[in-house]
Amino acid sequence: MKIVKEALAGTLESSDLLVKVAPSPTDTLEVMVQSEVIRQFGEQINKVVRETLEKMGVTAGQILVDDKGALDCAIRARLQAAVLRGADCNKIEWSRLS
Amino acid sequence: MTDNTISFYIIDPHKNEQERADVAKLLAQCDLDFENTVEIFVVGRQNGQLAACAGLDGNIVKCVATSPDWRGESLSLRLMGEMAHVAYELGRHHLFLFTRPYNVEAFQGCGFYLLAEVSDQCALMENTPFGIRNYCQSLARLRKDGQKIGGIVVNANPFTYGHQYLIRTAASQCDWLHLFVVAEDASFISYRDRFALVQEGVKGIPNLTLHPGSQYMVSRATFPDYFFKDKGMVGECCTAIDLLLFRNYIAPALGVTHRFVGTEPFCPTTRKYNDDMKQWLQTEPTRGSPITVVEIPRTAVDGTPVSASQVRRLLADRDLEALTKLVPESTLALLKNKYMPAA
Repeated sequence: MKIVKEALAGTLESSDLLVKVAPSPTDTLEVMVQSEVIRQFGEQINKVVRETLEKMGVTAGQILVDDKGALDCAIRARLQAAVLRGADCNKIEWSRLS
Repeated sequence: MTDNTISFYIIDPHKNEQERADVAKLLAQCDLDFENTVEIFVVGRQNGQLAACAGLDGNIVKCVATSPDWRGESLSLRLMGEMAHVAYELGRHHLFLFTRPYNVEAFQGCGFYLLAEVSDQCALMENTPFGIRNYCQSLARLRKDGQKIGGIVVNANPFTYGHQYLIRTAASQCDWLHLFVVAEDASFISYRDRFALVQEGVKGIPNLTLHPGSQYMVSRATFPDYFFKDKGMVGECCTAIDLLLFRNYIAPALGVTHRFVGTEPFCPTTRKYNDDMKQWLQTEPTRGSPITVVEIPRTAVDGTPVSASQVRRLLADRDLEALTKLVPESTLALLKNKYMPAA
């Protein structure tokens, strides 16, 4: 699936994250992760983000994650919400999201 | 029992006078002006006390303040998170923000990225790391080879023989010329009309690319004062931000080596912009290579330099005879049909 419109999910509060997604002008997938705990958990956060996008089958879009020390489950949930809003898909395959 | 939660909501400062007064007071406390162009404020209150506010003017975030009593509570994170959602719901995804350099770090924590900064004066940020990069990539596709690549930005409000002369002269001195028309619709003549007139006026110049303007050049975001120049406000730092964006992003993307500009005899804002150009494009040390500023003397008709402001004055006086000497036929026809004041 591709990101076809701008969308937002989450907050900037502590232990949460704000995810912004936008269409890619070059039709590629670009991911940028910012985190307050990037030095301790950067690798793990990037892995969760990558896996979540992969599971959802996101192939194009600009994905921006602004993390404020969220748990993995929160990262997955916010990312899924932003992608589902931005991909404009109306049928959700819940089994692929778990 | 006191309630420690802060509730956030949006207000229209032009409809709610009490809210506006409170916001103005908080801004004054933080040494900020209440700006009348802000359409919406996100405000946070606790027990009726105003704790924080952030304003939205088009897609520019301004008037952001938190009460000194609340500092250190991560209030700005909540405030800017709320603002992001409010702006997205209005379809304003791409946000800009002007601030003081010492606030840059705080706003970086709120999802903003630095575009340009003038030490001790001001900084311009945007809410995505992809914004300026996407723009430069799209420009780079229009890059042309050559030793001497020129750049011109015109507002053309409206297009005159003066613009035509400047553009033709510049094109004759360059291998290729990139011409931009200011896109902000804040001038007397609409952007659509200004662009069409420029397009008509530069026909036949073989080594020229005409570009639509963008928010990264002479826009409300990069150069707000330009559009308030009738009020006599000429910002110190705003020209610098605009010029740094040109030098550090736009010029490198297109390979622009020279920026051409007409000498300015009338308009103080434009004259200051020309002077600042030499400083910020040429001499000031910064990331982008220096760009040579070439000032071309304005063409004159009957001894008077041709300028768009002069044209607008003559139009207000309905002086068609004088106008005929200053603008091409296409401009004259449009002015007559659409912009001439009733007799």
